[in-house]
Amino acid sequence: MVADLEAGIGTLTRLADGAVDIVLIVVEPVPKSMEVGTRAAAAAAAKGIGRLVIVANRVRDAADLDAITTAFPGHEIVVVPDDGAIVEADRRGVAPLDMAPQAPAVQALSALAERLVPV
Amino acid sequence: MRVAFVGKGGAGKSALAGTLARVLARTGEPVLVIDSDPMPGLALSLGFPATDAGIPDDATVERADGEDGPRYRLRPGLSAAKAIELYAVAGPDDVRLLQFGKLREHVGSLMRSQHAFHQIREELPVDRWHLVGDLPGGTRQPFFGWAQFATVVLVVVEPSEKGMLSARRLARLGDDEDGPAQILAVVNKSRHRDDAARVEAGTGLRVAVTVPWDEALADAERRGLAPIDAAPDSAAVGAVACLVTQLQAGAQP
Repeated sequence: MVADLEAGIGTLTRLADGAVDIVLIVVEPVPKSMEVGTRAAAAAAAKGIGRLVIVANRVRDAADLDAITTAFPGHEIVVVPDDGAIVEADRRGVAPLDMAPQAPAVQALSALAERLVPV
Repeated sequence: MRVAFVGKGGAGKSALAGTLARVLARTGEPVLVIDSDPMPGLALSLGFPATDAGIPDDATVERADGEDGPRYRLRPGLSAAKAIELYAVAGPDDVRLLQFGKLREHVGSLMRSQHAFHQIREELPVDRWHLVGDLPGGTRQPFFGWAQFATVVLVVVEPSEKGMLSARRLARLGDDEDGPAQILAVVNKSRHRDDAARVEAGTGLRVAVTVPWDEALADAERRGLAPIDAAPDSAAVGAVACLVTQLQAGAQP
């Protein structure tokens, strides 16, 4: 089961114990996003929710990744590169997986899925 | 001028609201920004130091047994105007920022502050300030009346299918009898010449301004700086300045 929660940490703080096995915190390499992500990670840790994975999204270069690894020391981090194919798929209103299965961001997410549920 | 920014999460509401407030303040007008997002962000776009500080619990009293009304209200003798004086933070260009505090744990921790914030919003001395509101992404707060102080609601729309779907829903705020006098779209992160026409066709809203995709603005966000400080000459900040001029003209009697 895959749930896409509302932005922010409101839903996360109201989750029942044992409701989820894994929390994926999607973070962009911008201070606003990393601040919210830090709060989400702290809230998830305080509730003792299972495995926590930071998904570093829209990463352009080493400096972007560095900003995220610095903000989330000791966390499991998965990188999804900045990818124009995702923007274009959103613009057209189609699933990135359907429109551009070979795009770097889609490949990164496929790898993430396999990492979470090994096939 | 009383405006509220609404839209889908990530559409760019805070960056635009922060910039609009600063541009307006630079014309010499008094500006109060009211931030009802429990997550931090707007302060950075305004060029304020980020703070969790909201309205302190001791600004409120609890409803007595047998009394009607909300559970908490401003303590006796504390008017909305006085509360703004006490709790709104001053920043660059003398913009004032009132927020109900930022969430780190369960929302219950902000309950008193939220009640006070509601009351202040409802009892604001509307002629004293230009009001710029920034609501969190989505439809919940807008449809629960959090934008009712505004005469103009600006729906920030990214020209994607998802962005337009959200905007179509938010456009229904205009159907409400307590809805704003005007509800307009602001197209953000535009990369194509036909984006404004697509948004008008897709949402039924008139587009007030189109803000182009602007690397300088994205760079300001990455550095945690206010666009107006980091990229004052950028096309995006210029588009917000056009919006201010347009709103000022519309606000004249």
